[in-house]
Parts: sequence; C-alpha cells; structure tokens
Amino acid sequence: MTTLEGLGHGLSVALQPNVLIYSLFGALLGTFVGVLPGIGAMAAITLLLPITYYISSEAALVMLAGVYYGAQYGGAVASILLRLPGTPQSAVTTLDGYPLARQGRAGVALFTAMISSFAGSILGIVILVMLAGWLAGMATAFGAAEYAAMMIMGLIAASTIGSARPSKSLAMVVVGLILGCVGTDVNSGVQRLTFGQTELMDGINLVALAMGLFGVAEVIANIRDADRHGPPDRVTLRQLIPTRQDVGQMIAPITRGTTLGGFFGALPGTGSTISSFLSYALERRVSRHPERFGNGAIEGIAGPEAANNSASITAFVPTLTLGIPGDPIMALMLGALIIHGIQPGPMMLEARPDMFWGLVVSFGIGNLFLLILNLPLIGIWVSMLRIPFRWLYPAIIVFICLGVYSVRGSVFDIAMVAGIGAIGYALALASFSPALLLLGFVLGPLIETNLRRAMLISRGDPMIFLERPIACGFVIATLALILVPVMKTVLKARTNRAAN
Amino acid sequence: MRRDYHDILWGGFLALLGLGVAGYAAIHYDLGSLRRMGPGFFPVSLGVILAALGAAIALPAFWRKGELRPFAGRELLGVIAALLLFALLMNRAGIVITAAVVTLTASVVAPRPGILWRLVLAAAVTLLTWAIFILALEMTIPVWPWSR
Repeated sequence: MTTLEGLGHGLSVALQPNVLIYSLFGALLGTFVGVLPGIGAMAAITLLLPITYYISSEAALVMLAGVYYGAQYGGAVASILLRLPGTPQSAVTTLDGYPLARQGRAGVALFTAMISSFAGSILGIVILVMLAGWLAGMATAFGAAEYAAMMIMGLIAASTIGSARPSKSLAMVVVGLILGCVGTDVNSGVQRLTFGQTELMDGINLVALAMGLFGVAEVIANIRDADRHGPPDRVTLRQLIPTRQDVGQMIAPITRGTTLGGFFGALPGTGSTISSFLSYALERRVSRHPERFGNGAIEGIAGPEAANNSASITAFVPTLTLGIPGDPIMALMLGALIIHGIQPGPMMLEARPDMFWGLVVSFGIGNLFLLILNLPLIGIWVSMLRIPFRWLYPAIIVFICLGVYSVRGSVFDIAMVAGIGAIGYALALASFSPALLLLGFVLGPLIETNLRRAMLISRGDPMIFLERPIACGFVIATLALILVPVMKTVLKARTNRAAN
Repeated sequence: MRRDYHDILWGGFLALLGLGVAGYAAIHYDLGSLRRMGPGFFPVSLGVILAALGAAIALPAFWRKGELRPFAGRELLGVIAALLLFALLMNRAGIVITAAVVTLTASVVAPRPGILWRLVLAAAVTLLTWAIFILALEMTIPVWPWSR
C-alpha cells in the first residue's frame, strides 16, 4: 500500500461518524483536563481505558489519542493565565506566557500557543508517515538482542537526558522494572514476588498503578495550594489577534521546534516534555536578544508548544511500528491496543492498515477540530479556570475508584491504588519521577523476555549484543548516555574543589 | 537545613528494598544460567542495581544542604481514607451510598470551612456518578445495598 492509498484508506476510516464523534469527544476532554491543573492526560486516559472495552478499537484509539494531544493544547491555557502548568509538557510555556498575560497580552500568548501546537501536530503527522514506513521495513531486521538493547537504551535515555539527578531517575526505572516482575513468570510458571496473594498472580494492575501514581498523588499534592491562584482576567476574541511582528517572530521557532520535537518524540524514552524544554533552550540560544526570554518572548511559547505537539504525534512511531512505548502515555495506548487484540509491531502496517492509517488521518482531523473550536471556546476555558479545585477533587477521587473497580470488579485493586498513591505522593515530594517508574513497569516484562531469548539464541554468550551491528549501536549509545553525565559530575566536583 | 534528608531517607530505603528483593529472589527462585536464565535472574540483578543506586542517592546527600518540603499529611490521610472506604463499602453498600461517603470524606480536608457546601457537593457528585456510570454506561455494579 502506498502512502497516498493509505491516506485515502485512513480518510474512509476516520470519517466514519462514530469515529469522528469519539475523536471530537477525546480532543475536547483532553483540552478540558489539560486546562485544569491537577489532572493530566495520564489520569484522563487511565479513566477512559475501561470505557474503551465497549467501543470499536478504531474509535477507542482515536479517542485516547485525542485526549493526549488535546491536553497539549489545554495545558498552555493554565500555564499562560495562572502560571500553573496544566500538564508537565507545558511547564516551559509559563516562563514567557505568564509575563505576556501580565502585560495584557494573554490573548496573543494563547493564540501563539494554539497556532504553534497546530503547526507542530500537522508537521508531526508528516514526519510520522515518513518514518513509520521506513522503520517498519527496518524492523524486520530486529531480533531479540536488538529489541532488548533498544528498550534498555530508551529507559536510560529517559532517565539521564534532561534530568537533574540521573541516579534518582534510574532508581525509579529499576523500581518499575521490579514491580513489572510481580506475577507469574512466563517461562517457568513460578509465582514471583506475589507473597501468596492470588490477586497478584497476573501482576500488578497497570490501571491501578497509573491511577495511584498520577491521579491520587497529584490530587494530594494540589489540594492545599490549587485555590491560592486568583481567577484570571477575561480574554476576548479580539485580543487573540497577533500583530504582524508577532507572526514574524513565530515562524522560525515553530519550524525549529517541530523538527526537534519530531526527532525526540520518535526516539523511545524521550518524550514531549523533554522536547519542549530543549526547544526553549534552543530558541534562547539562537535568539539575538536572549534577555527577552522570561519577560514575554513570543518565541519562547511558539518553539516549545510546536515541539511538544510534534513529539506527541511522532511518539506513536515506535509504539505502532516496534511495539515499544516511548513514554508512559504510549504505554497505556499499547495496553489499550492489546486489550483490543491488536499486537503493534512491524507487521501492523500490513496487517491492520485500517487501524494505522485511520489513526494518522484522525490526528489531522482532531487537530483541525481543536484549532477551529478552541478559538471561540477560549472564553469557556478561561471561565473553567474559575472552578475551585475543592469542588473538583472529590469527584476525581470517586471517578478514580470507579475506573479501577470497573476493570475487574476488584476492591483489592482500590486498596492498591490507595497504597501506591501515598507512596507516589511521598516520592514526588522528594523529586522522584513517577512517570519513569511506570515506564520501567511497562517495559520490564518486554525487556526480560527479549533478554532471555537473546541469551538462549547465543547459547549464553553476551557477545551477541556486540556482534550484531544494530544492537551494538544501541549498546554504544547507552554507554554514552551513562558516561557523559558521570563525566560531567566528576568535572563539576573538580572545579568546585578547585574553587574552594 | 543541614542535610538533604529527603534523599538520605529515600536513598536508604531504596537501597534496603533492593537488597531485600535480591535476597528474597535469590533464596526463593532459581537463578539459572546465562544461557537459560531462571525466574530469579532478572529480579536478583535488579535488586542489586537498585541497592547500588539507593546508596548513590543517599551517601552524597549527607554532605549536601537540602530543603524540607512541607508534607501534606492531613490531605494525604483524607484522600487515602476516602479510597479505603470505597474498597470497604462498594461491594456491601452499592455505588450510591459509597459515592456520597467517599465524596464527603475526601472533602473534609479541603481548605474551606462549612458543612453545607460539602453536602451539596456530595449530592451533586453522587448524582453525576449515578447518571454517568449506571444510566449512560449501564455498568453492572451494585447500586444499592439490597441490589446485590
């Protein structure tokens, strides 16, 4: 199937009325949770997972994807108006968005965020289409050793790139990997780390873990402070119109941000959050007036917003073509696909073209919806920020409970959510990343299976990882990812000592 | 504050957890060989790595200044109590009573005095829950204590 045929085929899937409705619903719900600080795309997708049992697999995936990129649009609204990032990806948008809002230019900041998000998504789709075919072709050259090496590289990349303390990030990944071991071992049938609990035989429930780490922990962290920010000023449609100078300042950052986000989104382990931070750093570096950053530079919004949307689209590349989720949200998507009996991987483009191309086209349609709807809806989003958090969070708790309960009617899972939530809150308080724990949890069983298979194939010779060129490339990249921060720390300690 | 206590405590805990997992797995599960890895191989290796990382987090923190973040203990208790009440009540009392109790419990720790708004909120959330999950989604879960 050529790309053009594929897109035509995808259009016929994405334009089915029920798929269209779920796409619109997902995108709007995503914007809603993105706008509200304290609930992220992660929690929203987890809440929706049980509902997807009841609808067609195309509609389900299209809806979940809509929540994901919709939240990227919404996240910017709270960042700009309240200096409270609605989602982690939009944290950098506070740096220049909030100062602009203080200067009475909130409308222009919001417009910049939305048009940049849209441009980033559309160009991300182009990159996705180009990369997916190429990667799916290459993936047939992947054996167990390559998969294992690539996943390990992804985990190390996620914990070292952009992390202030890589040892803490790595520790979270390893805790996740250990939690992934809980349950029946596939090869031997041994019950591992279940301590006799029959509820743990199938392993820890992904929904319970995600709800505890992201839903419960974030609610606890937000109860006390969420209402302290005053309500934002009104924003009218007229204020959204940018000047000619503003538009001129957007184009180059959008282009750079999209390219950067498209690249990092497609790498497993690095996601949209890192892309938006890197894009901000890049814009500041190439700017002729870096002093404007932090005081309301349009470029500081345009670049990162384009980057995180582009990355969230290309993040589907490794998930769909290799079956390797690059970030925790993609891990949930992978879970949703598997629930619907679809095994993502190199064969998916051939075996389920309706699914793949339908998703791709729906990205475009969903983003168009968001752009058209969000401009008139901006007044509604702004007024939503006036809802006090104390009204919202008890409802969120009830929805979390019902979401987890509906998966398999188990109250044991709810008790798990309570325990995981308490630990997750304490971990986040000490700046440990719960997202990395979840990533380790999802990738753990895949890594173990492929590692065991690779060693079986090579008759116990670990050289298999160096003899095969692709695997060797991943090993070298992994070593570089570990050694560079270590060297940096050593050098820093030395200069500090010299200074003292 | 003189030391980074967050990192010392968590680093130490993670190191012990790693040792615990490695020790437990080594005793209870077959390690196997490199060629044919047993069920114990992966957990034991991970436990050892976690122990090392935990030490790497805790030890440098002894010589580093840190700030103690305020711990939202009250909020934590309220939310966890609400969740545990759901686990306790759901199969016995049905969704209507459970949703009301959970909402009330969770709202106790909200930073705003008053009882009336809490009751109104509980009623609203219960109604919404019933409308979404029973009326719209037709989920098969107990609605009342007597409808099991």
